[in-house]
Amino acid sequence: MTPEETPALSNVTYDELDVGQVLGTVDEPVGAELAGSLIGAIGASGEAAIAPPAVFPVLFLKALRRTLGGIPNGGVLAKYELRFGAPLETGNDVRIEVSIADKYVRRERPYVVVQFAIDDASGERALTGLKTIMWPTGPGQE
Amino acid sequence: MPTGEFPSVSEAVSQETINDYADLSGDYNPIHVDEAAGAASEFGGTIAHGPIALQTFFRSLTEWLDAPAPPAGTVVNITFRAPTRPGDTIHSELREQDGDEIKAECVNQDGTTVISATATLPE
Repeated sequence: MTPEETPALSNVTYDELDVGQVLGTVDEPVGAELAGSLIGAIGASGEAAIAPPAVFPVLFLKALRRTLGGIPNGGVLAKYELRFGAPLETGNDVRIEVSIADKYVRRERPYVVVQFAIDDASGERALTGLKTIMWPTGPGQE
Repeated sequence: MPTGEFPSVSEAVSQETINDYADLSGDYNPIHVDEAAGAASEFGGTIAHGPIALQTFFRSLTEWLDAPAPPAGTVVNITFRAPTRPGDTIHSELREQDGDEIKAECVNQDGTTVISATATLPE
């Protein structure tokens, strides 16, 4: 399935996700224009030779959409942890492994922690990211 | 370790900003782009993708570092505390600097903290 064919939204439930589960590995291009549009105000045009930090949340969303069959419908972003590696040069693909690092219920709300391991074209780690999402469904809910 | 002042960056958020981010990221969650769905949600209207407000912190950080990206070994922890809505203006504020650790917040025009951020730079 190409990135364009991937559904926009997913209804994968909390119960369908297991800690340690690898959702998949995808390649995504990081172009100078994408990077340039995330240096200043969102939507401003430009080009950049090194990816600014705002590129990584975009890559999280693109990789999550492709490996989960869509963005969780109704999910709410709660936390990030970003561990930066080598500066990422634009103009190449990155390889992103997406996995489930943790899931838990707190104050009756379900949370899923998704890990993104992002390597540059030479295989060097550019970023390890954890994204905590308040999941739209809890245990036992469809 | 930079010695200059951690700069504050401000950014106005509109529905157009949110739609632009949806196009960039492929995240067309109705809570962001569908006004009817937003109105029916617990938020009472559309809300911005979290990284839109976070952009003010990232811009402050890279400007302060005078580098396009944080150096290898940097760890950034972000907590999203409140939604950002169309019409909001978000700015970043330094709260505390302790050695290699920076604590900052992204605050809206009402003084509500929407994001707390901590960046720990490598020694």
